[in-house]
Amino acid sequence: MPTENIYLPKTAILDRVTDEIAEVKTFHWHFEDEAEQKAFKKFRPGQFAQVSLFGVGEFPTSLPPSPTEQETFFTVRSVGSCTSALHQLKPGDKFGVRGPYGNGFPMDAYEGKNLVFVAGGIGLIPLRSCIVYALNNRDKYGRIQIFYGSKTPSELMYVANLREWEQATAVECSLTVDRTCPTDVWTGNIGVVGSLFKKPGVGIPVENTIAFVCGPPVMFRFVINDLIDLGFEERNIVSTLERYMKCGVGKCGHCCIGVAYVCTDGPVFTYEQIKKLGEDI
Amino acid sequence: MKARIIDRDDVLKIADLLQGQGYDVIAPFPGRGRDTFFESISDENRQRFQIHLPNPYYPPKRFVFPHMERLLTVRRSNGDLLIEPTYRESKRALFGIRSCDVAGIYHLDRFYLGREYHDIYYEKRRRNLFLVNVVCTVPGADINNECFCLCTDTGPAAKDHFDLQLMDLGDEFMVVAGTPAGEALFSDSMFKRGSEAHREKRVAILNEVRKQFKKTTSWFSATVRYVSQGAVLDKTWEEIGNRCLECGGCTYVCPACTCFTVSDHQTGSDEIERVRIWDACALAGFTRMAGGHNPRRAVHDRRNRRFFRKLAHYFIQRELSMACVGCGRCAAVCHGDVGMPNVVEMIRRASLESDTHAD
Repeated sequence: MPTENIYLPKTAILDRVTDEIAEVKTFHWHFEDEAEQKAFKKFRPGQFAQVSLFGVGEFPTSLPPSPTEQETFFTVRSVGSCTSALHQLKPGDKFGVRGPYGNGFPMDAYEGKNLVFVAGGIGLIPLRSCIVYALNNRDKYGRIQIFYGSKTPSELMYVANLREWEQATAVECSLTVDRTCPTDVWTGNIGVVGSLFKKPGVGIPVENTIAFVCGPPVMFRFVINDLIDLGFEERNIVSTLERYMKCGVGKCGHCCIGVAYVCTDGPVFTYEQIKKLGEDI
Repeated sequence: MKARIIDRDDVLKIADLLQGQGYDVIAPFPGRGRDTFFESISDENRQRFQIHLPNPYYPPKRFVFPHMERLLTVRRSNGDLLIEPTYRESKRALFGIRSCDVAGIYHLDRFYLGREYHDIYYEKRRRNLFLVNVVCTVPGADINNECFCLCTDTGPAAKDHFDLQLMDLGDEFMVVAGTPAGEALFSDSMFKRGSEAHREKRVAILNEVRKQFKKTTSWFSATVRYVSQGAVLDKTWEEIGNRCLECGGCTYVCPACTCFTVSDHQTGSDEIERVRIWDACALAGFTRMAGGHNPRRAVHDRRNRRFFRKLAHYFIQRELSMACVGCGRCAAVCHGDVGMPNVVEMIRRASLESDTHAD
């Protein structure tokens, strides 16, 4: 019988913090123990980790880096007690991490297919991992398209990555915002993310294509309808769900919806599966 | 399984044997009114020991999964974090655990020790636990109005998952060994070989006892099918939800509920402890995320959830055991009378109504 303690966090050290958008920061960190770091680095895009702020609690968060990248980091919005506590940490501070958990996106099974990434707001955080992974394994995939939208230009995430993807020939990247302020310098599209799909020259391939969708519930519903109108089958649309979780390993029961524990059976599900779970996104 | 016969007066000698092996032997004792409670057998209380008495509302689940359990401590020292898991292992024997609760512990075994992840806190308590099951044979004492183990096939006599099983045959007790550890006790001279007459008496008593159950929710298996197929109407869940007072009592008395929450507490200036605490899907905050979004807001959605998790075929397949063991505690404590037996009945009645209205 395994003797490992599934609830035991390992010590992590914060290296540096970068601002993304208001309330959202990226935290670069590494495990104190080198062997832990090496083992953790085998994660798959779409998996998640449990972060411990001792004395406050523990929360699940997606892993935005690709395993093909050197650094490990989280991008977290300050929204509850644990995430605010993480935002208070300074470089050199220690906290706890355990994982990786969950199924992740089956990137191997998608080899040879076109990939369409549709993200809204901080929904880009979990998809960033797959995008970077696909671009670092560019010859394994067909066309790669990114459609990303936020409410305003100042709420676009990972701006450096976006610039890089917009200029790269390996990937087609289209951005949009819902609205602009007079002070914004924005020459791009204005409208919801679905409004990009039918722009001249975009041409989303439907055959042999996987669509990754991640964003706020409203955006999710509209994008799903748009994709289905384009002819996507429900099993070729994938997303990652978030739920209140305490353990991350299928024991505490909080994330159990329908017949699935989001932590161990997910968090990645096809839209076909999500519909059967029968609960709000 | 091997069986032996002992004299009625020798029952507590089994507890003595277990104490001799270093076990803390815990048995149900009579409390005030109807309630009973688990307590360690000692010289002081052994006069009050009774073999036949109502099953305690507070289930024996806590001896493997305590309602509050420390998982780890974290100490800060010179900028370092010392993260230490805290384990408790002590040898315990439950003397007089009822068959429904034996099935409850088996369900917890399947849940916490099965599948990909293995709960080491549970495992350390479980491997030190010895189960002496008592077959329920006395209506009004062992068998109460709410008992429905006949419908869940978990009683009145457990078929498996105990170390020893005691059954009252009148002047004598039949003792069945379910494990090598249980069988090892048979080396004591008080255990005598039984006869065919003993076996016949056991069968005759059980046949008679099975007729004494008041709640025979014969619709239980049909409910499993209805719930699994999603065939229970929203209207019926709303009716059930309207009667739920959201107290969470049903989960706290349930021997097969597994959910918990985790909480950190300051225990010193540079030290915290992390504990897990039983949690209940009846409570509104169970699925509420940071920021306030709650995908399962309505009471009836939460009731639906509880019964789906317990009865859906998918989960029975997943654990190869069912998260309801027919103990009837939820029926006894629920102020709105939406414990398991009545929910089965409400689903049955709703199915008749929808049939009447079919065209």
